[in-house]
Amino acid sequence: MRTRGRLLQVLDKAETGPIISERDFDREFIQKSIKNLVQKYDIRWEEDVFLPHDDALADRVFEAGYELALNTGIFCTSTKRRMVWTRDELDEVINTSPTSVTLGDGEDTVVISTRRPDDDKRVAVCGGPYGIPVPEHLFVPIMLSYAQEPLIDFIDNASFVSTYGRPIRAGSPWEAIACWQEADLSFEVIRRAGRPGMAVGCAENSPTHIGEVSSNSFGGFRPTDWHHAALISELKTNYDQLIKVAHFARTGSHIHTFANNIYGGYPGGADGMAVALVASLIMLQATYFGCTVNPGPTHATLSCDTHPKMLPGIGVALQGLNRNTNLLTTSFARTIGGPGTKNILYESAALTLVGVTSGIALMEGVQAAVGIETAHCTGLEARFLAQVTHAAEKISRKEAAPIVKKLTEKYGDDLTKKPIGKSFEQLYDLEKVKPLPEWQKLYEEVCKEFKAEFGLIL
Amino acid sequence: MGNLQTVQSELLGILLAGDTDSALSLANEVLNQGTSPVTFFEECIAPSLEEIGKRFEKLEIFLPEMVLAAEIVNQMNDEVISPAIEANHSEKIAKLGKVLLATVRGDMHDIGKNMVALMLRVNGFEVIDLGTDVPPIDIVLAAEKEKVDIIGLSSLLTTCLPYMKDVFDYLDEGKARSKYSVIIGGAAATGEFAKSMGADGVGKSAAEAVSICREIMKR
Repeated sequence: MRTRGRLLQVLDKAETGPIISERDFDREFIQKSIKNLVQKYDIRWEEDVFLPHDDALADRVFEAGYELALNTGIFCTSTKRRMVWTRDELDEVINTSPTSVTLGDGEDTVVISTRRPDDDKRVAVCGGPYGIPVPEHLFVPIMLSYAQEPLIDFIDNASFVSTYGRPIRAGSPWEAIACWQEADLSFEVIRRAGRPGMAVGCAENSPTHIGEVSSNSFGGFRPTDWHHAALISELKTNYDQLIKVAHFARTGSHIHTFANNIYGGYPGGADGMAVALVASLIMLQATYFGCTVNPGPTHATLSCDTHPKMLPGIGVALQGLNRNTNLLTTSFARTIGGPGTKNILYESAALTLVGVTSGIALMEGVQAAVGIETAHCTGLEARFLAQVTHAAEKISRKEAAPIVKKLTEKYGDDLTKKPIGKSFEQLYDLEKVKPLPEWQKLYEEVCKEFKAEFGLIL
Repeated sequence: MGNLQTVQSELLGILLAGDTDSALSLANEVLNQGTSPVTFFEECIAPSLEEIGKRFEKLEIFLPEMVLAAEIVNQMNDEVISPAIEANHSEKIAKLGKVLLATVRGDMHDIGKNMVALMLRVNGFEVIDLGTDVPPIDIVLAAEKEKVDIIGLSSLLTTCLPYMKDVFDYLDEGKARSKYSVIIGGAAATGEFAKSMGADGVGKSAAEAVSICREIMKR
């Protein structure tokens, strides 16, 4: 277990760091610190800019985020201690982070590699519902609609509405039952897709460590799959997450890590959110030593990450990280729009253009209708996401910026109307697992629109 | 001093600026001019907080500004308003109601719940916050102990909805359901689920939660 040393160091910090109340941590280390850092490092951009391409700004955002990480550390809610890293320790984390990772097995592997802003290297794509609840009987056709798409390199699962007809209770044996069912059906999906070695993002039926740990064992999800651990907003962890990490480290499993900083929450607006994103991704690597790191900020009231005001903050944070570290950063589309609408395509495209030109290694999506509408997910929006991803590899931030701006004009006013779209069985033929004419036509219209209006050939 | 509308407008600006000293100074000045503390609270403080809540809901301001404004008001209450009320032995500021909040068992998410707690407090409710990952029976026992009016349950995760159902089941079995109004919130709490549980409301935002609680207390 090559990461045992790092794991023990992290667990020690959770037991020995300075004691502090959560309230004081939020107030003193998050709220006040971020506000001061935004001012100190002059983090700002013009209001009508949705994709900044100012390297000096990106570097300042990185410096601000690094300072936040160094001075704040991570709060462990289980031990009520602040886990702190020295500058040398943080630099070591950054300098030893992997520059590439290979997920999956056999002929179905995908390599995810470090990129820089304006890079033309290939971006990997993970397509999936990312935990959208679906009826058990629809899991296979829904997930197959993603796994069969050639441009999607690997998948991330839906969750179940029930397991064997019973409600899934967090923290109970039902979680383990559901995650084993998820594993069994996932292998059915990738076998049917003809990609048996494809990596699977898992376990989406695991609200606590129970499901992940149980199903990541013999006959279940594999070390070559893509397992999850997250920070709790803002800059917090707990034993639940650390138990998973200890298990993944022991089994040699790939760990995908993410942080959902709140736009409008303690970090404040997009400027503070950018600083918090940088700090969070550095601390994700320090605490969970995973392979990929994702900033998945959440709008405080709409729950999406495609709100126009969030995009520049996401962009500068990713640019700062990708200019100054080798972290395998990702971007993840959580749209308000649901499948069967143009909104989902516009929203995910805007975020994709920001992410890819800002240097991400992996694009993920789509968690449609902010992930809460049952079975509102299809592989077609993930195909579109992948197409935009590869088109975006060919353009720079400066070239993408006006496109992003036009896209925000197309969907920005609709966000509060919540166009949740339709469910899978209304948009796909369940037997053939192909888009029905209505959804196919809408998708083709938007593809033509992108060519005619933006010069992007999808 | 000007009329109270002018004072309220001035107070709003001070609260948005996070200027504690000016807020305390204004409160003292207004009371010294003869305005009763309850009137000052109801005509100046409460509307200012309501406006701040609305601006947060639209994200015209962010959580730090709202938290700071609420803290300043708490300090105004502690240092100026409450002592003035005590000294006069007269009117009291009526609390709108008592609300118990909890994120149910299995769920550690609390930002939404915390925003609801803050909005309820700034709007005049007394709030007991049990935190996250709270077992259903503990929610019911706390509601009984604190004699609350409303129980508010939060969950981001669909896998925690069975624990919300447990709260309703325990209340039914203990023949205590009619003693409380129960509202639910969080991404997992849909209108459909609320209806199936017989919930008294489902709040999709902090502002909506306040609105629902106000309506409940009017009944």
